[in-house]
Amino acid sequence: MSADPIYLLQLTLNGVTLGLLYALIAVGLALIFGVLEIINFAHGELLMVGAYAMAFALPAFGLLYWPALVVAVLASAIAGWVLYELFLSKLKLGELERSILITLALSIIILHVVQLLFTASPRIVDTQFGFEGVEIGAIRITWTRVIGAGSAAVAFALLFLVLKFTQFGRAMRAIAQNREAALMVGIRPKTVARNAVVLATALCGLAGAALAPVHLVQPGMGQFLIFKAFALVIIGGLGNIPGAIAAAILLGLVESWVGGFFQIVWQEAAVFVLMMGVLFLRPDGLFKRGAMRVG
Amino acid sequence: MDARAEADADAGGTAVSAVLEVRDLHKAYAGVRAVDGVSFDVQAGSITGLIGPNGSGKSTTIDGISGFQPLDSGTVRLGGADITGMASHRIARAGLMRTFQTVRVYERLSLRENLMIAAQQFDAAGWIDELLRTKRYRGAIAAGEARARELTRMIGLMKYWEAPTGILSYGQKKLVALAAALMPKPRIVVLDEPVAGVNPTRIREVEEVLQTLNAAGETFLIVEHNVEFITTLCHHVIVLDQGRKLSEGSAEAIHADARVLEAYLGVAPELEEAEA
Repeated sequence: MSADPIYLLQLTLNGVTLGLLYALIAVGLALIFGVLEIINFAHGELLMVGAYAMAFALPAFGLLYWPALVVAVLASAIAGWVLYELFLSKLKLGELERSILITLALSIIILHVVQLLFTASPRIVDTQFGFEGVEIGAIRITWTRVIGAGSAAVAFALLFLVLKFTQFGRAMRAIAQNREAALMVGIRPKTVARNAVVLATALCGLAGAALAPVHLVQPGMGQFLIFKAFALVIIGGLGNIPGAIAAAILLGLVESWVGGFFQIVWQEAAVFVLMMGVLFLRPDGLFKRGAMRVG
Repeated sequence: MDARAEADADAGGTAVSAVLEVRDLHKAYAGVRAVDGVSFDVQAGSITGLIGPNGSGKSTTIDGISGFQPLDSGTVRLGGADITGMASHRIARAGLMRTFQTVRVYERLSLRENLMIAAQQFDAAGWIDELLRTKRYRGAIAAGEARARELTRMIGLMKYWEAPTGILSYGQKKLVALAAALMPKPRIVVLDEPVAGVNPTRIREVEEVLQTLNAAGETFLIVEHNVEFITTLCHHVIVLDQGRKLSEGSAEAIHADARVLEAYLGVAPELEEAEA
Protein backbone atom coordinates (compact mmCIF):
# COMPACT_ATOMS: atom_id res chain seq x y z
CA MET A 1 0.00 0.00 0.00
CA SER A 2 1.37 3.37 -0.97
CA ALA A 3 0.32 6.88 0.03
CA ASP A 4 2.37 8.49 -2.73
CA PRO A 5 0.37 11.62 -3.76
CA ILE A 6 1.19 11.15 -7.46
CA TYR A 7 -0.13 7.58 -7.30
CA LEU A 8 -3.26 8.79 -5.47
CA LEU A 9 -3.85 11.49 -8.07
CA GLN A 10 -3.40 9.00 -10.88
CA LEU A 11 -5.95 6.69 -9.25
CA THR A 12 -8.29 9.64 -8.73
CA LEU A 13 -8.16 10.67 -12.39
CA ASN A 14 -8.74 7.09 -13.50
CA GLY A 15 -11.65 6.90 -11.07
CA VAL A 16 -13.31 10.07 -12.36
CA THR A 17 -13.01 9.00 -16.01
CA LEU A 18 -14.43 5.55 -15.25
CA GLY A 19 -17.17 7.13 -13.11
CA LEU A 20 -18.32 9.39 -15.94
CA LEU A 21 -18.75 6.37 -18.20
CA TYR A 22 -20.72 4.52 -15.51
CA ALA A 23 -22.85 7.64 -15.18
CA LEU A 24 -23.90 7.39 -18.85
CA ILE A 25 -25.39 3.97 -18.16
CA ALA A 26 -27.02 4.98 -14.88
CA VAL A 27 -28.57 8.14 -16.35
CA GLY A 28 -30.07 6.13 -19.22
CA LEU A 29 -31.66 3.74 -16.73
CA ALA A 30 -32.98 6.68 -14.69
CA LEU A 31 -34.48 8.30 -17.82
CA ILE A 32 -36.32 5.12 -18.80
CA PHE A 33 -37.48 4.52 -15.25
CA GLY A 34 -38.65 8.12 -14.92
CA VAL A 35 -40.78 8.14 -18.07
CA LEU A 36 -41.87 4.51 -18.54
CA GLU A 37 -41.77 3.45 -14.88
CA ILE A 38 -39.97 0.25 -15.83
CA ILE A 39 -36.51 -1.15 -15.15
CA ASN A 40 -34.74 -1.96 -18.40
CA PHE A 41 -32.70 -5.10 -17.76
CA ALA A 42 -31.61 -5.11 -21.42
CA HIS A 43 -29.78 -1.80 -20.94
CA GLY A 44 -26.42 -3.52 -20.48
CA GLU A 45 -26.82 -5.38 -23.76
CA LEU A 46 -27.48 -2.10 -25.58
CA LEU A 47 -24.16 -0.91 -24.16
CA MET A 48 -22.57 -4.10 -25.46
CA VAL A 49 -24.14 -3.41 -28.89
CA GLY A 50 -22.49 0.04 -28.80
CA ALA A 51 -19.14 -1.50 -27.85
CA TYR A 52 -19.32 -4.12 -30.66
CA ALA A 53 -20.40 -1.45 -33.15
CA MET A 54 -17.33 0.54 -32.12
CA ALA A 55 -15.13 -2.56 -32.42
CA PHE A 56 -16.33 -3.19 -35.99
CA ALA A 57 -16.58 0.43 -37.12
CA LEU A 58 -13.03 1.35 -36.07
CA PRO A 59 -11.25 -0.89 -38.63
CA ALA A 60 -13.81 0.18 -41.26
CA PHE A 61 -12.85 3.82 -40.71
CA GLY A 62 -9.10 3.12 -40.60
CA LEU A 63 -9.11 3.25 -36.76
CA LEU A 64 -10.48 6.82 -36.77
CA TYR A 65 -12.11 7.31 -33.36
CA TRP A 66 -14.81 9.92 -33.96
CA PRO A 67 -16.68 8.46 -36.98
CA ALA A 68 -16.68 5.04 -35.27
CA LEU A 69 -18.08 6.64 -32.09
CA VAL A 70 -20.94 8.23 -34.08
CA VAL A 71 -21.75 4.85 -35.70
CA ALA A 72 -21.77 3.15 -32.29
CA VAL A 73 -24.08 5.74 -30.74
CA LEU A 74 -26.44 5.49 -33.72
CA ALA A 75 -26.39 1.67 -33.59
CA SER A 76 -27.43 1.66 -29.92
CA ALA A 77 -30.06 4.35 -30.46
CA ILE A 78 -31.57 2.37 -33.35
CA ALA A 79 -31.48 -0.82 -31.24
CA GLY A 80 -33.26 1.14 -28.49
CA TRP A 81 -35.87 2.41 -30.91
CA VAL A 82 -36.54 -1.15 -32.16
CA LEU A 83 -36.70 -2.39 -28.55
CA TYR A 84 -39.28 0.29 -27.78
CA GLU A 85 -41.44 -0.19 -30.86
CA LEU A 86 -41.47 -4.00 -30.71
CA PHE A 87 -41.69 -4.59 -26.97
CA LEU A 88 -41.78 -1.68 -24.52
CA SER A 89 -44.57 0.20 -26.33
CA LYS A 90 -46.82 -2.84 -25.78
CA LEU A 91 -46.50 -2.57 -22.00
CA LYS A 92 -49.21 -0.83 -20.04
CA LEU A 93 -48.46 1.45 -17.14
CA GLY A 94 -47.94 -0.47 -13.91
CA GLU A 95 -46.89 -3.72 -15.60
CA LEU A 96 -43.58 -3.76 -13.74
CA GLU A 97 -43.33 -7.54 -13.42
CA ARG A 98 -44.06 -8.04 -17.11
CA SER A 99 -41.46 -5.41 -18.00
CA ILE A 100 -38.84 -7.15 -15.86
CA LEU A 101 -39.48 -10.52 -17.53
CA ILE A 102 -39.51 -9.06 -21.05
CA THR A 103 -36.35 -6.95 -20.67
CA LEU A 104 -34.55 -9.74 -18.80
CA ALA A 105 -35.44 -12.21 -21.57
CA LEU A 106 -34.29 -9.74 -24.22
CA SER A 107 -31.06 -9.22 -22.33
CA ILE A 108 -30.32 -12.96 -22.35
CA ILE A 109 -31.36 -13.35 -25.99
CA ILE A 110 -29.19 -10.44 -27.22
CA LEU A 111 -26.25 -11.69 -25.16
CA HIS A 112 -26.42 -15.18 -26.64
CA VAL A 113 -27.05 -14.01 -30.20
CA VAL A 114 -23.92 -11.84 -30.02
CA GLN A 115 -22.01 -14.76 -28.50
CA LEU A 116 -23.19 -17.02 -31.32
CA LEU A 117 -22.25 -14.49 -33.99
CA PHE A 118 -18.94 -13.24 -32.63
CA THR A 119 -17.92 -15.88 -30.01
CA ALA A 120 -17.38 -15.22 -26.33
CA SER A 121 -13.70 -14.36 -26.82
CA PRO A 122 -12.80 -10.92 -25.54
CA ARG A 123 -11.65 -8.46 -28.20
CA ILE A 124 -9.00 -5.82 -27.81
CA VAL A 125 -10.09 -2.68 -29.61
CA ASP A 126 -7.43 -0.42 -31.07
CA THR A 127 -7.94 3.19 -32.13
CA GLN A 128 -5.91 5.85 -33.88
CA PHE A 129 -4.67 6.88 -30.41
CA GLY A 130 -3.32 3.43 -29.51
CA PHE A 131 -1.95 3.60 -25.96
CA GLU A 132 -0.85 7.20 -26.32
CA GLY A 133 -1.81 9.47 -23.55
CA VAL A 134 -1.44 12.83 -21.95
CA GLU A 135 1.32 13.25 -19.38
CA ILE A 136 1.23 15.84 -16.65
CA GLY A 137 4.41 15.46 -14.65
CA ALA A 138 4.53 11.88 -13.50
CA ILE A 139 0.83 11.33 -14.16
CA ARG A 140 -0.23 9.64 -17.34
CA ILE A 141 -3.70 9.02 -18.69
CA THR A 142 -4.52 7.51 -22.09
CA TRP A 143 -6.29 9.62 -24.73
CA THR A 144 -9.09 7.07 -25.04
CA ARG A 145 -9.92 7.59 -21.35
CA VAL A 146 -9.64 11.37 -21.61
CA ILE A 147 -11.84 11.49 -24.71
CA GLY A 148 -14.34 9.00 -23.25
CA ALA A 149 -14.68 11.07 -20.08
CA GLY A 150 -14.83 14.32 -22.07
CA SER A 151 -17.54 12.91 -24.36
CA ALA A 152 -19.55 11.83 -21.32
CA ALA A 153 -19.23 15.30 -19.76
CA VAL A 154 -20.36 16.93 -23.03
CA ALA A 155 -23.25 14.43 -23.29
CA PHE A 156 -24.40 15.36 -19.77
CA ALA A 157 -24.23 19.07 -20.57
CA LEU A 158 -26.32 18.49 -23.71
CA LEU A 159 -28.75 16.27 -21.81
CA PHE A 160 -29.18 18.99 -19.18
CA LEU A 161 -29.90 21.58 -21.90
CA VAL A 162 -32.35 19.25 -23.65
CA LEU A 163 -34.24 18.38 -20.45
CA LYS A 164 -34.28 21.91 -19.14
CA PHE A 165 -34.82 24.05 -22.20
CA THR A 166 -36.53 22.08 -24.97
CA GLN A 167 -40.10 21.01 -25.48
CA PHE A 168 -38.80 17.48 -26.04
CA GLY A 169 -37.15 17.51 -22.60
CA ARG A 170 -39.87 19.36 -20.75
CA ALA A 171 -42.43 16.79 -21.92
CA MET A 172 -40.22 14.02 -20.50
CA ARG A 173 -39.87 15.78 -17.16
CA ALA A 174 -43.58 16.53 -17.10
CA ILE A 175 -44.55 12.86 -17.60
CA ALA A 176 -41.98 11.77 -15.00
CA GLN A 177 -43.12 14.35 -12.45
CA ASN A 178 -46.86 14.03 -12.83
CA ARG A 179 -48.27 11.69 -15.46
CA GLU A 180 -51.92 12.70 -15.11
CA ALA A 181 -51.16 16.41 -15.28
CA ALA A 182 -49.09 15.75 -18.40
CA LEU A 183 -51.85 13.73 -20.06
CA MET A 184 -54.32 16.43 -19.11
CA VAL A 185 -52.41 18.98 -21.18
CA GLY A 186 -52.22 16.66 -24.17
CA ILE A 187 -48.64 15.38 -23.89
CA ARG A 188 -48.39 12.26 -26.08
CA PRO A 189 -47.21 9.50 -23.71
CA LYS A 190 -45.91 7.10 -26.39
CA THR A 191 -43.95 9.74 -28.27
CA VAL A 192 -42.32 10.88 -25.03
CA ALA A 193 -41.58 7.29 -24.00
CA ARG A 194 -39.99 6.51 -27.38
CA ASN A 195 -37.87 9.68 -27.18
CA ALA A 196 -36.73 8.76 -23.67
CA VAL A 197 -35.74 5.22 -24.72
CA VAL A 198 -33.84 6.43 -27.80
CA LEU A 199 -32.05 9.12 -25.80
CA ALA A 200 -31.19 6.68 -22.99
CA THR A 201 -29.90 4.03 -25.36
CA ALA A 202 -27.85 6.60 -27.30
CA LEU A 203 -26.16 7.54 -24.00
CA CYS A 204 -25.66 3.85 -23.31
CA GLY A 205 -24.13 3.38 -26.77
CA LEU A 206 -21.76 6.26 -26.10
CA ALA A 207 -20.69 4.51 -22.89
CA GLY A 208 -20.16 1.23 -24.77
CA ALA A 209 -18.17 2.95 -27.53
CA ALA A 210 -16.02 4.86 -25.05
CA LEU A 211 -15.42 1.75 -22.93
CA ALA A 212 -14.51 -0.45 -25.93
CA PRO A 213 -10.89 0.80 -26.26
CA VAL A 214 -10.48 1.01 -22.46
CA HIS A 215 -11.86 -2.42 -21.49
CA LEU A 216 -12.08 -5.69 -23.34
CA VAL A 217 -15.16 -6.06 -25.54
CA GLN A 218 -17.07 -9.26 -24.85
CA PRO A 219 -20.74 -10.34 -24.90
CA GLY A 220 -21.03 -10.37 -21.09
CA MET A 221 -19.67 -6.85 -20.57
CA GLY A 222 -23.14 -5.29 -20.31
CA GLN A 223 -24.44 -7.66 -17.68
CA PHE A 224 -21.39 -7.02 -15.60
CA LEU A 225 -21.96 -3.25 -15.74
CA ILE A 226 -25.75 -3.13 -15.47
CA PHE A 227 -25.91 -4.24 -11.85
CA LYS A 228 -23.43 -1.55 -10.93
CA ALA A 229 -25.65 0.94 -12.76
CA PHE A 230 -28.70 -0.22 -10.76
CA ALA A 231 -26.74 0.33 -7.58
CA LEU A 232 -25.81 3.82 -8.76
CA VAL A 233 -29.37 4.79 -9.61
CA ILE A 234 -30.42 3.74 -6.10
CA ILE A 235 -27.47 5.35 -4.32
CA GLY A 236 -28.07 8.55 -6.30
CA GLY A 237 -31.73 8.76 -5.22
CA LEU A 238 -34.13 7.07 -7.63
CA GLY A 239 -34.93 9.42 -10.51
CA ASN A 240 -32.37 12.05 -9.53
CA ILE A 241 -30.14 12.52 -12.58
CA PRO A 242 -27.37 14.68 -11.05
CA GLY A 243 -27.55 12.31 -8.07
CA ALA A 244 -26.87 9.32 -10.37
CA ILE A 245 -23.94 11.17 -11.99
CA ALA A 246 -22.45 12.08 -8.60
CA ALA A 247 -22.92 8.49 -7.35
CA ALA A 248 -21.25 7.15 -10.51
CA ILE A 249 -18.20 9.38 -10.09
CA LEU A 250 -18.04 8.38 -6.42
CA LEU A 251 -18.16 4.73 -7.44
CA GLY A 252 -15.46 5.21 -10.06
CA LEU A 253 -13.25 6.78 -7.40
CA VAL A 254 -13.97 4.10 -4.81
CA GLU A 255 -13.26 1.37 -7.34
CA SER A 256 -10.05 2.98 -8.45
CA TRP A 257 -8.81 3.63 -4.91
CA VAL A 258 -9.82 0.20 -3.64
CA GLY A 259 -8.15 -1.43 -6.66
CA GLY A 260 -5.03 0.65 -6.09
CA PHE A 261 -4.65 0.22 -2.37
CA PHE A 262 -6.26 -3.13 -1.56
CA GLN A 263 -6.39 -6.59 -3.07
CA ILE A 264 -8.05 -6.42 -6.47
CA VAL A 265 -10.84 -8.81 -5.42
CA TRP A 266 -12.27 -6.06 -3.22
CA GLN A 267 -12.71 -3.73 -6.17
CA GLU A 268 -15.91 -5.32 -7.44
CA ALA A 269 -17.35 -5.90 -3.99
CA ALA A 270 -16.77 -2.28 -2.99
CA VAL A 271 -19.71 -0.87 -4.99
CA PHE A 272 -22.20 -3.28 -3.49
CA VAL A 273 -20.83 -2.83 0.02
CA LEU A 274 -21.22 0.91 -0.57
CA MET A 275 -24.79 0.45 -1.85
CA MET A 276 -25.81 -1.64 1.15
CA GLY A 277 -24.15 0.82 3.53
CA VAL A 278 -25.94 3.77 1.92
CA LEU A 279 -29.29 1.99 1.94
CA PHE A 280 -28.98 1.15 5.62
CA LEU A 281 -28.01 4.68 6.58
CA ARG A 282 -30.13 6.58 4.03
CA PRO A 283 -32.90 4.37 2.62
CA ASP A 284 -33.75 6.93 -0.12
CA GLY A 285 -30.15 7.19 -1.35
CA LEU A 286 -27.56 9.91 -0.89
CA PHE A 287 -29.54 12.56 -2.73
CA LYS A 288 -33.18 13.55 -2.77
CA ARG A 289 -35.40 11.28 -4.82
CA GLY A 290 -37.27 12.93 -7.63
CA ALA A 291 -39.01 12.11 -10.86
CA MET A 292 -36.35 13.15 -13.34
CA ARG A 293 -34.88 15.81 -11.15
CA VAL A 294 -32.36 17.73 -13.22
CA GLY A 295 -31.25 20.29 -10.70
CA MET B 1 -54.55 15.63 -38.54
CA ASP B 2 -54.60 16.51 -34.87
CA ALA B 3 -57.38 15.44 -32.52
CA ARG B 4 -59.10 18.81 -32.56
CA ALA B 5 -59.09 19.06 -36.34
CA GLU B 6 -60.45 15.50 -36.46
CA ALA B 7 -63.18 16.45 -34.03
CA ASP B 8 -64.03 19.50 -36.16
CA ALA B 9 -64.15 17.45 -39.35
CA ASP B 10 -66.27 14.83 -37.62
CA ALA B 11 -68.70 17.52 -36.46
CA GLY B 12 -69.23 18.41 -40.12
CA GLY B 13 -69.32 22.10 -39.31
CA THR B 14 -72.83 21.86 -37.82
CA ALA B 15 -73.67 24.63 -35.38
CA VAL B 16 -74.08 23.11 -31.93
CA SER B 17 -74.90 25.20 -28.90
CA ALA B 18 -74.15 22.29 -26.55
CA VAL B 19 -70.37 22.06 -26.50
CA LEU B 20 -70.48 18.82 -24.50
CA GLU B 21 -73.19 16.18 -24.94
CA VAL B 22 -73.17 13.26 -22.53
CA ARG B 23 -75.57 10.41 -23.26
CA ASP B 24 -76.48 7.39 -21.18
CA LEU B 25 -73.16 6.83 -19.42
CA HIS B 26 -72.74 3.58 -17.53
CA LYS B 27 -69.87 2.42 -15.37
CA ALA B 28 -69.87 -0.35 -12.78
CA TYR B 29 -67.15 -1.47 -10.37
CA ALA B 30 -67.41 -5.07 -9.20
CA GLY B 31 -71.15 -5.05 -9.79
CA VAL B 32 -71.74 -1.67 -8.13
CA ARG B 33 -73.27 0.80 -10.57
CA ALA B 34 -71.19 3.92 -10.02
CA VAL B 35 -72.77 5.69 -13.01
CA ASP B 36 -76.11 4.43 -14.22
CA GLY B 37 -77.49 6.09 -17.34
CA VAL B 38 -76.34 9.68 -16.82
CA SER B 39 -77.12 12.15 -19.65
CA PHE B 40 -76.67 15.93 -19.78
CA ASP B 41 -75.50 18.81 -21.99
CA VAL B 42 -73.14 21.68 -21.26
CA GLN B 43 -73.93 24.82 -23.26
CA ALA B 44 -71.12 26.84 -24.81
CA GLY B 45 -70.22 29.87 -22.71
CA SER B 46 -71.92 28.52 -19.57
CA ILE B 47 -70.76 27.54 -16.12
CA THR B 48 -72.47 24.25 -15.38
CA GLY B 49 -72.30 22.59 -11.99
CA LEU B 50 -72.31 18.86 -11.31
CA ILE B 51 -73.17 18.14 -7.68
CA GLY B 52 -74.24 15.24 -5.55
CA PRO B 53 -73.48 13.55 -2.24
CA ASN B 54 -70.40 11.36 -1.77
CA GLY B 55 -70.59 8.27 -3.96
CA SER B 56 -73.13 9.83 -6.33
CA GLY B 57 -70.90 9.17 -9.36
CA LYS B 58 -69.65 12.71 -10.07
CA SER B 59 -65.95 11.82 -10.20
CA THR B 60 -66.55 8.65 -12.22
CA THR B 61 -68.63 10.68 -14.67
CA ILE B 62 -65.92 13.27 -15.33
CA ASP B 63 -63.14 10.66 -15.32
CA GLY B 64 -65.10 8.83 -18.01
CA ILE B 65 -65.77 11.99 -20.02
CA SER B 66 -62.09 13.05 -19.92
CA GLY B 67 -60.72 9.59 -20.78
CA PHE B 68 -59.09 8.88 -17.42
CA GLN B 69 -61.43 5.92 -16.81
CA PRO B 70 -62.90 3.59 -19.44
CA LEU B 71 -66.70 3.68 -19.59
CA ASP B 72 -68.88 0.58 -19.89
CA SER B 73 -71.25 2.30 -22.32
CA GLY B 74 -72.65 5.64 -23.38
CA THR B 75 -71.41 8.40 -25.66
CA VAL B 76 -69.61 11.67 -25.15
CA ARG B 77 -69.60 14.29 -27.91
CA LEU B 78 -67.44 17.38 -27.86
CA GLY B 79 -68.45 20.11 -30.30
CA GLY B 80 -70.55 17.50 -32.08
CA ALA B 81 -67.68 14.99 -32.50
CA ASP B 82 -67.63 11.64 -30.76
CA ILE B 83 -64.78 11.46 -28.21
CA THR B 84 -66.05 8.36 -26.39
CA GLY B 85 -63.24 6.00 -25.42
CA MET B 86 -60.45 8.24 -26.72
CA ALA B 87 -57.21 8.37 -24.69
CA SER B 88 -57.04 11.26 -22.24
CA HIS B 89 -54.30 13.12 -24.11
CA ARG B 90 -56.30 12.92 -27.34
CA ILE B 91 -59.39 14.26 -25.59
CA ALA B 92 -57.27 17.15 -24.28
CA ARG B 93 -56.08 17.82 -27.82
CA ALA B 94 -59.68 17.73 -29.04
CA GLY B 95 -60.42 20.64 -26.69
CA LEU B 96 -61.60 19.19 -23.37
CA MET B 97 -59.18 20.06 -20.58
CA ARG B 98 -59.57 19.22 -16.93
CA THR B 99 -58.15 19.73 -13.48
CA PHE B 100 -58.04 17.26 -10.61
CA GLN B 101 -59.40 17.28 -7.09
CA THR B 102 -55.90 16.83 -5.68
CA VAL B 103 -53.85 19.48 -7.30
CA ARG B 104 -51.50 18.38 -10.08
CA VAL B 105 -48.82 20.89 -10.95
CA TYR B 106 -45.11 20.41 -11.60
CA GLU B 107 -43.85 21.65 -8.26
CA ARG B 108 -40.20 22.04 -9.23
CA LEU B 109 -41.00 24.01 -12.37
CA SER B 110 -41.80 27.71 -12.37
CA LEU B 111 -45.31 29.01 -12.92
CA ARG B 112 -44.22 30.14 -16.41
CA GLU B 113 -42.84 26.66 -17.22
CA ASN B 114 -46.00 24.97 -15.93
CA LEU B 115 -48.07 27.00 -18.36
CA MET B 116 -45.62 26.74 -21.26
CA ILE B 117 -45.63 22.93 -21.04
CA ALA B 118 -49.37 23.07 -21.55
CA ALA B 119 -49.08 25.55 -24.44
CA GLN B 120 -46.31 23.83 -26.31
CA GLN B 121 -48.10 20.54 -26.72
CA PHE B 122 -50.49 22.31 -29.03
CA ASP B 123 -48.36 24.58 -31.18
CA ALA B 124 -47.40 23.56 -34.68
CA ALA B 125 -43.65 23.92 -34.15
CA GLY B 126 -41.84 20.58 -34.03
CA TRP B 127 -38.47 19.67 -32.58
CA ILE B 128 -36.64 20.61 -35.78
CA ASP B 129 -38.17 24.10 -35.53
CA GLU B 130 -37.06 24.19 -31.93
CA LEU B 131 -33.54 23.05 -32.69
CA LEU B 132 -33.15 25.59 -35.49
CA ARG B 133 -35.08 28.25 -33.57
CA THR B 134 -37.18 28.91 -36.68
CA LYS B 135 -39.58 31.81 -37.06
CA ARG B 136 -42.46 29.40 -36.51
CA TYR B 137 -40.96 28.23 -33.21
CA ARG B 138 -40.24 31.76 -32.02
CA GLY B 139 -43.77 32.80 -32.98
CA ALA B 140 -45.29 29.86 -31.07
CA ILE B 141 -43.20 30.66 -27.98
CA ALA B 142 -44.15 34.34 -28.11
CA ALA B 143 -47.85 33.50 -28.46
CA GLY B 144 -47.63 30.95 -25.62
CA GLU B 145 -45.85 33.42 -23.33
CA ALA B 146 -48.43 36.11 -24.09
CA ARG B 147 -51.28 33.72 -23.25
CA ALA B 148 -49.46 32.54 -20.10
CA ARG B 149 -48.96 36.12 -18.91
CA GLU B 150 -52.60 37.01 -19.62
CA LEU B 151 -53.84 34.02 -17.60
CA THR B 152 -51.34 34.57 -14.79
CA ARG B 153 -52.56 38.15 -14.48
CA MET B 154 -56.16 36.90 -14.42
CA ILE B 155 -55.43 34.48 -11.57
CA GLY B 156 -53.50 37.26 -9.77
CA LEU B 157 -50.19 35.40 -9.44
CA MET B 158 -47.94 37.51 -11.67
CA LYS B 159 -45.44 38.06 -8.87
CA TYR B 160 -44.78 34.31 -8.82
CA TRP B 161 -44.15 34.16 -12.60
CA GLU B 162 -40.63 32.73 -12.28
CA ALA B 163 -41.10 31.04 -8.87
CA PRO B 164 -41.33 27.24 -8.54
CA THR B 165 -44.98 26.35 -8.00
CA GLY B 166 -43.98 24.23 -5.00
CA ILE B 167 -43.81 27.40 -2.87
CA LEU B 168 -47.43 28.39 -3.60
CA SER B 169 -50.37 27.73 -1.28
CA TYR B 170 -52.76 24.89 -2.11
CA GLY B 171 -55.39 27.31 -3.40
CA GLN B 172 -52.84 29.10 -5.57
CA LYS B 173 -51.69 25.78 -7.04
CA LYS B 174 -55.31 25.05 -7.96
CA LEU B 175 -55.39 28.35 -9.82
CA VAL B 176 -52.16 27.40 -11.64
CA ALA B 177 -53.74 24.09 -12.68
CA LEU B 178 -56.77 26.04 -13.92
CA ALA B 179 -54.56 28.41 -15.93
CA ALA B 180 -52.64 25.44 -17.39
CA ALA B 181 -55.92 23.89 -18.49
CA LEU B 182 -56.89 27.15 -20.21
CA MET B 183 -53.57 27.61 -22.04
CA PRO B 184 -54.55 25.95 -25.35
CA LYS B 185 -57.91 27.83 -25.47
CA PRO B 186 -59.99 24.67 -25.00
CA ARG B 187 -63.65 24.33 -25.84
CA ILE B 188 -64.46 23.41 -22.24
CA VAL B 189 -62.64 23.03 -18.95
CA VAL B 190 -63.82 20.45 -16.43
CA LEU B 191 -62.91 21.44 -12.88
CA ASP B 192 -62.85 18.70 -10.27
CA GLU B 193 -63.59 20.28 -6.88
CA PRO B 194 -61.79 23.58 -7.52
CA VAL B 195 -62.29 24.85 -3.95
CA ALA B 196 -61.87 21.60 -1.98
CA GLY B 197 -59.13 22.19 0.56
CA VAL B 198 -58.94 25.89 -0.30
CA ASN B 199 -58.91 28.36 2.56
CA PRO B 200 -62.52 29.69 2.88
CA THR B 201 -61.31 33.28 2.58
CA ARG B 202 -59.83 32.44 -0.81
CA ILE B 203 -62.96 30.80 -2.22
CA ARG B 204 -64.39 34.19 -3.19
CA GLU B 205 -61.21 34.87 -5.19
CA VAL B 206 -61.65 31.61 -7.10
CA GLU B 207 -65.27 32.58 -7.82
CA GLU B 208 -64.17 35.94 -9.19
CA VAL B 209 -61.48 34.38 -11.38
CA LEU B 210 -63.97 31.91 -12.84
CA GLN B 211 -66.56 34.67 -13.43
CA THR B 212 -63.94 36.81 -15.20
CA LEU B 213 -62.86 33.89 -17.38
CA ASN B 214 -66.45 32.99 -18.16
CA ALA B 215 -67.17 36.60 -19.14
CA ALA B 216 -64.21 36.26 -21.53
CA GLY B 217 -66.00 33.30 -23.18
CA GLU B 218 -64.66 30.23 -21.36
CA THR B 219 -67.02 27.30 -20.71
CA PHE B 220 -66.76 25.35 -17.46
CA LEU B 221 -68.20 22.15 -16.05
CA ILE B 222 -67.58 22.19 -12.30
CA VAL B 223 -67.80 19.23 -9.96
CA GLU B 224 -67.98 20.47 -6.39
CA HIS B 225 -69.16 19.51 -2.91
CA ASN B 226 -69.54 23.12 -1.83
CA VAL B 227 -73.19 23.75 -2.72
CA GLU B 228 -73.05 27.47 -2.00
CA PHE B 229 -70.08 27.87 -4.34
CA ILE B 230 -71.97 26.05 -7.10
CA THR B 231 -75.25 27.93 -6.63
CA THR B 232 -73.46 31.31 -6.60
CA LEU B 233 -71.48 30.59 -9.73
CA CYS B 234 -73.38 28.25 -12.01
CA HIS B 235 -75.98 29.06 -14.65
CA HIS B 236 -77.14 25.48 -14.75
CA VAL B 237 -76.79 22.71 -12.17
CA ILE B 238 -77.02 18.93 -12.59
CA VAL B 239 -77.57 16.82 -9.48
CA LEU B 240 -76.45 13.18 -9.31
CA ASP B 241 -77.45 10.68 -6.68
CA GLN B 242 -76.47 7.00 -6.54
CA GLY B 243 -75.14 7.11 -10.08
CA ARG B 244 -78.26 8.61 -11.63
CA LYS B 245 -79.30 12.11 -12.58
CA LEU B 246 -81.67 13.27 -9.86
CA SER B 247 -82.47 16.75 -11.12
CA GLU B 248 -81.22 19.60 -13.27
CA GLY B 249 -82.07 23.25 -13.75
CA SER B 250 -81.13 26.73 -12.65
CA ALA B 251 -79.33 27.17 -9.34
CA GLU B 252 -82.51 28.62 -7.79
CA ALA B 253 -84.65 25.72 -8.98
CA ILE B 254 -82.14 23.19 -7.62
CA HIS B 255 -81.99 25.00 -4.30
CA ALA B 256 -85.75 24.67 -3.98
CA ASP B 257 -85.93 21.04 -5.12
CA ALA B 258 -87.03 18.81 -2.23
CA ARG B 259 -85.46 15.73 -3.86
CA VAL B 260 -82.08 17.42 -3.84
CA LEU B 261 -82.41 18.34 -0.17
CA GLU B 262 -83.37 14.77 0.58
CA ALA B 263 -80.39 13.44 -1.36
CA TYR B 264 -78.20 15.48 0.94
CA LEU B 265 -79.90 13.62 3.86
CA GLY B 266 -82.05 16.59 4.71
CA VAL B 267 -79.04 18.47 6.03
CA ALA B 268 -78.28 20.52 2.95
CA PRO B 269 -78.39 23.96 4.61
CA GLU B 270 -76.10 22.84 7.44
CA LEU B 271 -73.79 21.15 4.98
CA GLU B 272 -73.54 24.36 3.01
CA GLU B 273 -72.68 26.33 6.10
CA ALA B 274 -70.08 23.83 7.20
CA GLU B 275 -68.41 23.77 3.80
CA ALA B 276 -68.64 27.47 3.09
